[in-house]
Amino acid sequence: MTIIHVFSRRRLWPLALLAATLAPAAALAAGYPQVTGARLAAAATDNGWLMFRRDYAGNSYAPFRQIDTANVKDLRLVWSYRSHLKEGYEGTPIVNGDYMFITTPKDHVIALNAVTGKVLWKYEKSLAGVALKTVCCDVVNRGVALYGNDVYLATLDNYVVALNAETGRVVWQRQIKPADVGYAMTLAPMTLKGMVIVGESGGEYGARDFIVALDARTGRELWRRYTIPAPGHLGGNTWPKGMYKHGGGSAWITGTYDPSTNTLFWGVGNPGPWLAKLRPGKNLFTDSLLALHPRSGKIKWYYQYTPHDSWDYDGVNTPVITNLRYHGRQYRAVVEANRNGWFYAIDRLNGKLIYAVRFTRATSVAGFRNGKPYTDNALRPTLTKQVFTCPSFLGGKNWWPISVDPLTHMAYVPTIHTCMTMKGAPTFYKAGLPYLGETFKVVHDPDDRNWGALQAINLDTGGQAWDHESALPWDAGAMSTAGGVVFSGSARGHLYAFDARTGRVLWRSPQLSSGIIAPPSTYIVDGKQYVAILAGWGGGTPIWGGQMVESVSNIPRGGHLYVFALP
Amino acid sequence: MRTRGLALALSILLAALGVQRGEAAGAPALFAAAQARAGRAVFEHKCAMCHGRRLQGLSGPALKGPLFASRKAGYTVRDIFLFLSVNMPAYAPGSLSAEQYVSVMSFLLQQNGFPAGRVALTAQAAATSTVALRYHGPAGRRGQHDRRASDCAAPGARAPSAGRTAPRRCKPLAAGAAGSARRVDAARSRPGAPERLR
Ligand code: HEC
Repeated sequence: MTIIHVFSRRRLWPLALLAATLAPAAALAAGYPQVTGARLAAAATDNGWLMFRRDYAGNSYAPFRQIDTANVKDLRLVWSYRSHLKEGYEGTPIVNGDYMFITTPKDHVIALNAVTGKVLWKYEKSLAGVALKTVCCDVVNRGVALYGNDVYLATLDNYVVALNAETGRVVWQRQIKPADVGYAMTLAPMTLKGMVIVGESGGEYGARDFIVALDARTGRELWRRYTIPAPGHLGGNTWPKGMYKHGGGSAWITGTYDPSTNTLFWGVGNPGPWLAKLRPGKNLFTDSLLALHPRSGKIKWYYQYTPHDSWDYDGVNTPVITNLRYHGRQYRAVVEANRNGWFYAIDRLNGKLIYAVRFTRATSVAGFRNGKPYTDNALRPTLTKQVFTCPSFLGGKNWWPISVDPLTHMAYVPTIHTCMTMKGAPTFYKAGLPYLGETFKVVHDPDDRNWGALQAINLDTGGQAWDHESALPWDAGAMSTAGGVVFSGSARGHLYAFDARTGRVLWRSPQLSSGIIAPPSTYIVDGKQYVAILAGWGGGTPIWGGQMVESVSNIPRGGHLYVFALP
Repeated sequence: MRTRGLALALSILLAALGVQRGEAAGAPALFAAAQARAGRAVFEHKCAMCHGRRLQGLSGPALKGPLFASRKAGYTVRDIFLFLSVNMPAYAPGSLSAEQYVSVMSFLLQQNGFPAGRVALTAQAAATSTVALRYHGPAGRRGQHDRRASDCAAPGARAPSAGRTAPRRCKPLAAGAAGSARRVDAARSRPGAPERLR
């Protein structure tokens, strides 16, 4: 295996630390560019990468043309940074001016100079006394949000922490739930209209999850939207008596925002316990897309992707706001490649389905009637019946963000090809323990020996435009650029550049020190475009991947940030 | 050095109070030593990659120590056994034999300071045991355990300090839904004496 080291970080370490301790004055002098609401609204065209999926629409698309299909092969490593933590790295490097912020497993934040890689400060959330009992899919963090002069972090022990962007000092912190009793946070927060908005995980532990908006300046709670309604509220009658209290419905991936309709979109995860037999009903708003009033969290409409789910088909994939033309009609849409293996285009004005197409083998959700999905009830497990169905609970796609390119009008979708066996099992609710009621094993799709792919879907037809197959699962997010290049990383540890139109591989980085499960980001400082990616294998696949686990068990662990540019 | 001196003083004090080594821990013997040995092998092959060779926790949580087997978490042996024998290892839940699950449970008990005894743990016993799963100090050194590990207090006991919740009152453990298995009250059982859970 080739592992690239442009320079040894280890040797530079003491120097970097020394520089960091001496540097604050210099850093301050350079000045941190304030992140205003106006800048966030225009994040799509900012030179930095100001939020999780770059802009409120969630496109993961940058209008930069410097790196293009012709010269991308000349990309070189400019700097790198190694972290000592060995768990998974799922964070997007966030960039404002020449400040970069990355997060590591277990909630560390590191601020670096985006051009030189010099460490400016580090913050480590103290997790002393926290057992990390109720974190299903690795002790990951997906990055920070920015607003004003602050950097926001959501933690595994359910704190939202505001840090000063120049010093890393805590401005305020607020715990929205105790640790270890079913709730945890792994997502990148969203800053919107002076609020910090986060969502809780816990669909495997009998949590009753929620999305919460805090005042960005003080941490004061402004609204809380439970994703599982109590009796007497909209959807409350879709649960058997009392079951809503442990109904799951996690909200563990950052939402998106549409200014034209003033709507906040947020995905909701699976119901608890997993075994649907135990909770007759539609189980709203699990596996759904919520369209919310951003000021109150009130529900405008919802769309349920998987009714009465028994397969852990979290509907938390990033809902991307885009316009499309389907059968001659123009739509203002929100699109998403769902865990259940279907790619959905939904009218974002009213929540009506425009179309849904399979993007991988999908049998549990069998089809659509009047714009609503129906399931194959023969594929529902019971205590005595084992089923075989597709995709596995890891999904046709897991959380890895898709990218939507307005020029090609394609969605680039990280994909896994899996099926599973699943059977009911006894379960009981106990705070701190999983609440599943099923056993399972992830296996190959019988018709596809590859575990993964990155594919392009034509937004106007739902048809596949190109497909890059991979023997190993494709567990990393995608990013597209105006230079006609799509970037995404592989489990083997190569950052790939694809031709956005054809899927041809234009460039592949040397093998990095670990596999990639994070999305890349790109930014421009002093007229030069950079591409940043965190390598650091881990996440859900090596834990829950069943038959897939063996294929990835030799991937080296460890976190490493790499920044590339043209010479 | 200082801590060792302190520990020594503490053990003299405890001895003076008639608290014998191990007794304060109140951990009943629930498994045979050979089971814990077999359980270690199972653990290393099937669990360590996620929970750590020293059970310290990696992508999966720690399975040893005061954070895992805490009063706050309130687990019983039954809770943990039923969970792990159905849901672990995560990549292939339920895939081990009953014997392997019982031995890995024995290993977890041993690692959390429970003593081995003469009678082997059975799947039935593990699945019905309401013994509180508490950390009783490092395996094999139960004398110096964490006193807070006991899950209830005698009537009239005060909360240890301001801000901490008072320990639950001790009461005889009620026979639960699981039926006929004999309940073992952790506080009453003699250390080292094998408890027959049926
Ligand atoms: C592939 C990773 C993986 C393997 C292998 C694995 N576990 Fe786990 N285990 C986890 C994760 C992740 C959790 C967190 C709870 C959850 O989501 O199920 C967990 C939770 C647990 C818990 C509950 C801990 C608590 O405090 O709530 C126990 C007990 C446990 N595992 C025992 C075992 C045993 C015994 C084995 C081996 C037979 C094993 N595990 C193998 C990943 C793993």
